[in-house]
Amino acid sequence: MKLKIGDLEKLRDKVKRTAEVREGKYRAKITVHMGTCGIAAGARDVMAALMDDIERKKIKDVIITTSGCAGLCSREPMVTVEVVGKPPVKYVDLTAEKIKKIVNSHIEKGVIVKECALAIGSERTH
Amino acid sequence: MKQYRTHLLVCAGTGCVACNSYEIKKTLEAEITKRKLQDEIAVIATGCNGFCERGPIVVVQPEGIFYQRLKTEDIPHLVEEHLLKGRPVKKLMYVPPKEELPIPKMMDIGFFRHQLLIVLRNRGRIDPENIEEYIAFDGYQALEKALTKMTPEQIIDVVKESGLRGRGGAGFPTGLKWERCRKAPGDVKYLICNGDEGDPGAFMDRSVLEADPHAVLEGMAIGAKAIGAQKGYIYVRSEYPLALKRVKIAIEQAEEYGLLGKNILGTGFDFSVEVARGAGAFVSGEETSLIAAIEGRIGIPRQRPPYPAQKGLWKKPTNINNVETWANVPQIIFKGAKWYSEIGTKTSKGTKIFSLVGKINNTGLVEVPMGISLKDIIYEIGGGIPKNKKFKAVQTGGPSGGCIPNQHLNLPIDYESLTEVGSMMGSGGMIVMDEDTCMVDVAKYFMNFLRDESCGKCLSCREGTHRMWEILDKITGGRGIMEDLATLEELAMAVKDASMCGLGQTAANPILSALKYFPGEFVSHIKDKKCPAKVCKPLIKYTVIPERCTGCMACLKVCAYKAIEGKRKEVHKIIQEKCTKCGSCLQVCKFEAVLVE
Amino acid sequence: MINFKLNGLEVQVEDGSTILEACKFFGIEIPTLCYMEGLEPYGGCRLCLVQIGDDKNPKLVTACTYPVEEGLVVRTNTKRVISARKMMVELLLSVSSDSKVIQDLASKFNVTKLRFAPRHEDCVLCGLCVRMCKEQMQSGAIGFTERGYKKKIETPFNKRSEVCRLCGGCIYVCPVCQTRCQGPDADTDICNACLALEPTCIDVHDDYQCWMGTTGDCGTCVKEEDKEGKKK
Repeated sequence: MKLKIGDLEKLRDKVKRTAEVREGKYRAKITVHMGTCGIAAGARDVMAALMDDIERKKIKDVIITTSGCAGLCSREPMVTVEVVGKPPVKYVDLTAEKIKKIVNSHIEKGVIVKECALAIGSERTH
Repeated sequence: MKQYRTHLLVCAGTGCVACNSYEIKKTLEAEITKRKLQDEIAVIATGCNGFCERGPIVVVQPEGIFYQRLKTEDIPHLVEEHLLKGRPVKKLMYVPPKEELPIPKMMDIGFFRHQLLIVLRNRGRIDPENIEEYIAFDGYQALEKALTKMTPEQIIDVVKESGLRGRGGAGFPTGLKWERCRKAPGDVKYLICNGDEGDPGAFMDRSVLEADPHAVLEGMAIGAKAIGAQKGYIYVRSEYPLALKRVKIAIEQAEEYGLLGKNILGTGFDFSVEVARGAGAFVSGEETSLIAAIEGRIGIPRQRPPYPAQKGLWKKPTNINNVETWANVPQIIFKGAKWYSEIGTKTSKGTKIFSLVGKINNTGLVEVPMGISLKDIIYEIGGGIPKNKKFKAVQTGGPSGGCIPNQHLNLPIDYESLTEVGSMMGSGGMIVMDEDTCMVDVAKYFMNFLRDESCGKCLSCREGTHRMWEILDKITGGRGIMEDLATLEELAMAVKDASMCGLGQTAANPILSALKYFPGEFVSHIKDKKCPAKVCKPLIKYTVIPERCTGCMACLKVCAYKAIEGKRKEVHKIIQEKCTKCGSCLQVCKFEAVLVE
Repeated sequence: MINFKLNGLEVQVEDGSTILEACKFFGIEIPTLCYMEGLEPYGGCRLCLVQIGDDKNPKLVTACTYPVEEGLVVRTNTKRVISARKMMVELLLSVSSDSKVIQDLASKFNVTKLRFAPRHEDCVLCGLCVRMCKEQMQSGAIGFTERGYKKKIETPFNKRSEVCRLCGGCIYVCPVCQTRCQGPDADTDICNACLALEPTCIDVHDDYQCWMGTTGDCGTCVKEEDKEGKKK
C-alpha cells in the first residue's frame, strides 16, 4: 500500500501506542497488583477486562503494568492509578465491571471513583 | 493494531544472536503462551542494544527493566515471577563490577545513562524488520518534510549549518560535499553508502544497519533530493550477513509503502536503492576503490582528482558517505540545524558512535556527544579496566590511528584534538589496553593487518608495510638492533608521504605513536631482550616457583607439548626447549606457582 | 591552456597534461620506472613524486598520474621529495638488486646503504608488462593476482595462456629483465659503480662503455672474486 502525503501521519497515529509502551512515556499509569494472592483473587480477569477496555476505547498515553503483592492481600484484586501530576489512587476489591467504571471515570474524565478507592496518595513510582 | 501491555525487547544484533538470543525469544514466546499471557505481552526482536558484554539482553517496557546474560533455563522463572506475578527478578539484573546491588532500570545503569542517542535512537527499541515500528517513532517524517516543504538548496544549507562531518574517518564537512556534487554538471548522479567498515574491532556501522536500516535509507532519500540523484547503492561487506538481510528487507518494505522507488509519497520524486556486497578487502572501504568494486572492476584506489563528486560511479558525479553520516541526516532535517549544532564542540558537532572493546569491563557500542573526555568514556561508561589492572593506552581509529596514553586521558574527543596527539577519530573503534599489553606487539599486529590488506599498487605501501612488519617481527623476536628504530621511523615517514591512498598514508600511525609514547618498550626489547608486558613469546620464560609448587601434576596434564616434568608431590620443572609459552599451565595452577618473566 | 607554477616558474601547458608531461616539456628531469610513453600511466613505483600545494597543506603526488590544474604549485626537488624518493629506491633495491636500472637509480640518488634484507626477486610489480600486453599488443595474457605483499603477475590461475602470442613485449619492457647489474657488492648488495662514483670504464677505456645498453661487457666494473666466490 503506497503512502501519499498525509498518509504517513495517519499511519503514525495508528501505531503510536507501540512508541508509548516502548518509551515508557505516559499520562497515566495503571498498575494491576499481581502476586500469588492477587492472581488467586482474580487479578488476571481484571487485567483482561482493563486491556480490552483501553483497546476498544482507543485510549492514548496510558500504560499498564504489574507489580507484586501490594501488601493488603485481603482486599485483592487491587489496582493503583497514577495520573502524572496527581497523587496515586489505590482501588480495592475490584472486578471486571468495576475496572471499566474506573477507566471511564478516572482515566477518561479525571474523576476518582470514591466507592472503589481505598486511599489517595501513597508511594509514587514515577 | 493489537494493544499489548508489556513489550519484551529481545536484543537480536549479531553478538546476541551468536549467544542464542533467537532461542531465548522462542522460549519466551512458548512460556508466555503456556501461561496464557499471549494477548498481553508482545515479544519483539530488535537490533543491537549496545551493551554487548552482557548479552543476551531483554528489556521489559514500559517499566524499563534490564535483564542480561540470560540463558534459556532462566526464562520460565522470569515469566512466572515478573510477567505473571509482577515481581522483577533480581538475580538476572545487572550488578556493576565491584558492587553488590543490582540496578533494575536500564537508564540508571552508567553504561546507558551517559550516552546521547541520535543515530542509535532506535536501537533495542524497534523491530528493524518492520517498517511500521520505524514510522511509529517519527520515521520518514523528515523525508516528507524535505520533499514537500524544502528545496534542494535549503536541504543542503541545513546540513551545512548543522556542522555534520563525515563519520567514516576523514571528517569532511558533509554539507559541502553534497553541494559540490549538486553543482557538478550532469543529470545522472549517484549516491553511495559506505558500509565496508574494515577496521578490526569496529562494529558501529554493522549495528546501525542491523538495528535501524530505515534511518540510513531515509537519509539517502533526503540526500538524493538535495543532490539530484536517482539511484543509490548501499555497499555492505559480505562478512555482515545479518546486516545485508535486514537492509534488503528494509528496502523491500520501503518500496512497498511508497517511501522508496518511483513516485515517493506521490510527489513525483524517484529514488531507488540497490545493495552491493563487498568481497573481503579492507581497501575497498576507500571511496575510489569502492566505486571500482561496484562497477565490477578490481577494488584498487585511483589517483584523485578527479574526485567522485565530479567523476565517480560510471564516471558520473557521485556522493559517497558513511553509514553513520547518512543515519544522522533524518534527525537533522526533522529537528533542525540549530539543535544539532548545539551538541558537541566548536569544530565537531553532534555525536559519534564508538565501539568500546579490549580490556574494558563494559564492552559494547556507545554513542556520546563530541567533546566528552576519554576518561568518561572509559570509566563512567566503560566501567574501567577489569581485574583491577592499570590503564595503559587506548587505540582510536583502528589501523589508521594511534595509541593515546594516560597523560592525555582528559582529552575532549573531537576530530582535531585526536589528530593533534598523533591519532585520529577514524570510524570510531576504541581499543582499550592495560599493563599486560605490549605496545610493540600491538604495532606489529596492525602492521600485519595492513600489509595483508594493502592493494599492492604503490611500492611504498606494499613493500613499506611489509618491511615495517619485518622490523617489528625482528624486534619482538629479540633480534632487533638500535639502528632499527631510526630505520623504522624513516621508513614510516616515507610510506606516509609517498602512498597514494588513505591506507598507505595512515599506515605508519600505529608505529609512530607507539614510538612517540612508549619508546622505552622498544628499547627494552632491543637492548635488554625483554618484553615488559610479558607478551612477546621469544622474550619471556615460564618457570615454576619451587616454594609454591605442591606437586599436584595439574600443569603436566594440560601441557600439550609435554614440556613439564615432575612426579606427584615433587616440585615440577618446565623444560625450556619444549615450552611454547602457551599459558595453559599458568591458567590451571591453583597455587600461583608459575612465574612468567 | 592551463597556467601553473613549476619550480617557481609561471608556465602554461595544454589541457589534459599530467605534471610529468609538463616537466618533460620544460626539460625538468623526474625519475620514473613504471612510466612508459604509449602506455597508460600507472603510478605504482612512486619514483616520480613531486610536491604540490601551498605552504599550508603540501602533499606528495605522482607526477605521471596527476593532471595539471589551474593555479597548481609544483616543486620537484624539496627535502620531502628527495627523502621519499631515496627510500623508494632503497625499497626497490631490497626487492631486486640484480637490476641495472635500479642500481643506476641508486647510484644517481646517492643511495648507499640497504637496511632491508634483500630478496633477489625478478619482479618489482611495476606493471609495465601487464600494460604492454593489454594496451599495445591487445592481448591481456598476464595480469595482477592477489593483493598486498603477496601480489604477483601471472596468467589467470597460472595456467598456460591461450592468448599469449609469444611476442616478447613483456620481456622487452621489464626494467629488471632488461639488463642485469654485474657489480653488486656481496655485503651491501649495492653496486654504485656506474654513475655516481668514478666509473671504472673511463680509466681503462677513456669512454663510457655502457651507454648504449650493454652492461659489464668491458668487464671493468666486475669486481674480482676471492677464493670463496665472493666479490671483493
